[in-house]
Amino acid sequence: MTDLPALQLRNVGLTFPRRRGVRALFGGRQSTDFVALEGIDLEVKRGEVLGVIGRNGSGKSTMLRVMAGVFSPDVGEAKASGRVSLLASLGTGFAGHLTGRENAMLYGSVLGRSREQMLDLMNGIIEFSELHDFIDEPLRTYSSGMRARLGLAVVSALDPDILLIDEVLGVGDPVFKEKSKKKILDMVGGAGTVVLVSHSFGLMTSICDRIVHMKGGHIDFVGEPQEAISAYYRSEGVDLEVSA
Amino acid sequence: MSPVGGLHDIGVNTPMVRAPWDHLRLLTSHRFLMSNLVRREVRGRFKNASLGYAWTVIEPAMLAVVYYFLFSLLSGNDDILYAVWVLIGVIVWSCFGKTLQATVGSLTRNASMIHLVHFPRAIFPLTSTVSNIILSLLSSLVVLPLLVVFDVSVTWRLVFVPLAIGLAAAQAIGLGMLLAPFNCVQQDVEHMVRFIVRAGFFLSPVMWTWEMAVERGGLYADIILINPMVLPITLARHGFEGTPLDMGPEALVFCFAWTVVMWVIGSMVFASKERGAVKHL
Repeated sequence: MTDLPALQLRNVGLTFPRRRGVRALFGGRQSTDFVALEGIDLEVKRGEVLGVIGRNGSGKSTMLRVMAGVFSPDVGEAKASGRVSLLASLGTGFAGHLTGRENAMLYGSVLGRSREQMLDLMNGIIEFSELHDFIDEPLRTYSSGMRARLGLAVVSALDPDILLIDEVLGVGDPVFKEKSKKKILDMVGGAGTVVLVSHSFGLMTSICDRIVHMKGGHIDFVGEPQEAISAYYRSEGVDLEVSA
Repeated sequence: MSPVGGLHDIGVNTPMVRAPWDHLRLLTSHRFLMSNLVRREVRGRFKNASLGYAWTVIEPAMLAVVYYFLFSLLSGNDDILYAVWVLIGVIVWSCFGKTLQATVGSLTRNASMIHLVHFPRAIFPLTSTVSNIILSLLSSLVVLPLLVVFDVSVTWRLVFVPLAIGLAAAQAIGLGMLLAPFNCVQQDVEHMVRFIVRAGFFLSPVMWTWEMAVERGGLYADIILINPMVLPITLARHGFEGTPLDMGPEALVFCFAWTVVMWVIGSMVFASKERGAVKHL
C-alpha cells in the first residue's frame, strides 16, 4: 500500500489518425497514422510533484490527457489510484454566456461532484479566485488570467487525489502565481499528487520533485529537475550554462 | 468511482453489450451534470435575446398566423383547423429534426470539453435530447391559446401532445447516437442529416395529415406507416382535438420497435466507436 503509485503508465502508445476516412473507425492502425506517444513507462509516486517539459508537440499534453482518461491508449495500460482531475485552459470548454459561478458548478459537476458539495465549496472558490463580484458576470468578460484563477480555484477546492495541470499557471499575474504555487505544495502536503506541464522552468525547479523530459513522443529523461532541464537543452543542441 | 488504495484503469468505457442499459442509467446517475449541461444548452440558445424563452412560444404563434393566412384564407381550405394541424406538425417534426441534428453533432460541438475531462460521453447526445424536448414542450404551449381561439374543448387527451413530443425525440436519439462518432471523422454526416431532415419534413405528415393520405388511398397510404414519425404527429393532433387515435396497432408496434431497436443499435455503436472517434476532434 505504501509504495503504490498514484499513476502508472506501462508501455503506453497512442497514435492519431491523419487521414479522415471512416475506415479509421473500423480498421486498425494505418501507416499514415501520427505516433503521438510510444513506449511510455512512467510511475508517479503518491505525494509527488512531477514536472513535464519538452518542445511543443513532444507529447506532453497528450500524455496528460491519457492520464486524465480523455484518450485511451492504443497499446499498454494506464492506471491510477484515486480521482484524477485535469486542469487545462478553462474558457474554451465552458460556457461563455454563463456566469463564473455557473461555470464553477458546471466544472464541478463535470468532475463528478454533486450540487450540495459544490454549494458548500462555492465560498472558498470565490475567495481563492479573488473574483469577488465578477463571479456573477458572464465568463466571456473574464481575462485569461481570471479564467485560470477560477479554474485552479475550482479544481483545487475539489481536492482531487491526483491533479494534472497543463500550462495554465503561466497566464496568472505574479501574485497569483505565488498563491498557486503555495496551493499546489499544500495539496502535495495533504498526500495529493501533482503532474505539471509548464515551460516556466523557474517555477518547475522550485516545486517539482522530479521532471520528465519528453521528445518526439518518448520519454527522454526522468530525474532531478536540474538534470532534466540540462537534458532538455542538450537534446535540442542548445549550449547553455544552466544557472538556477 | 473506486476508492483510493487500488490501481484502476483510467477512463474505462462502457462495454458494448451493456451500453443500451448503462447509457439509459446515466439519466439518473449523472443528474446534476446533465441538468447543468442542459441549462447551458437551453440558455445558450437565447443568450442576448431580451425576450428570451418567450421566443419558443412567440415563433410558433407567429407561424400559426402565417399558416392561417396561407391555408384558410388564401387556398380556401374547408378545414378551419388546418393551420393548427400544420403548426402541430411543425412543432413535433422540429423536435425530431432538431434532436437528430443536435445528437449527431453532440461530440463535435463539445470537442473542447471532451478534451478536458473524461466522463461517459453518451451524456452529450442525452443532454441534446433532453434540451430539445424541453424547448419543444415550451413551444407546444402555444396550443393553449389556440384551443381558446378555435373554441376546442379540452379533454384528457391533451396529454397526447407532450407525449408525442417525447416520442418524436425518442425516434431521433438512437439514430443520432449511431451517427455521432462518424460525424467526428467526417462532418459530411452532419450535412447529409440536414438534408434528411429537410426532405423528411415533406415526406412526413407535416403539411398534410395521415387522414388525407388514407382518404386518397393507393400505394402511398399503405407504405406511409413505415415512416416512424407518422404516429407522433398524428397523436399530437388527436390530442389537441380530443379525439381517440384511430390508427391500427401495427403503427404503434412499428413506432415502438423503431425507438427500441434504434436505441439499442445506436448506443452500442456509440459505445464501441467513441474512443476512436474523439481522436479526430
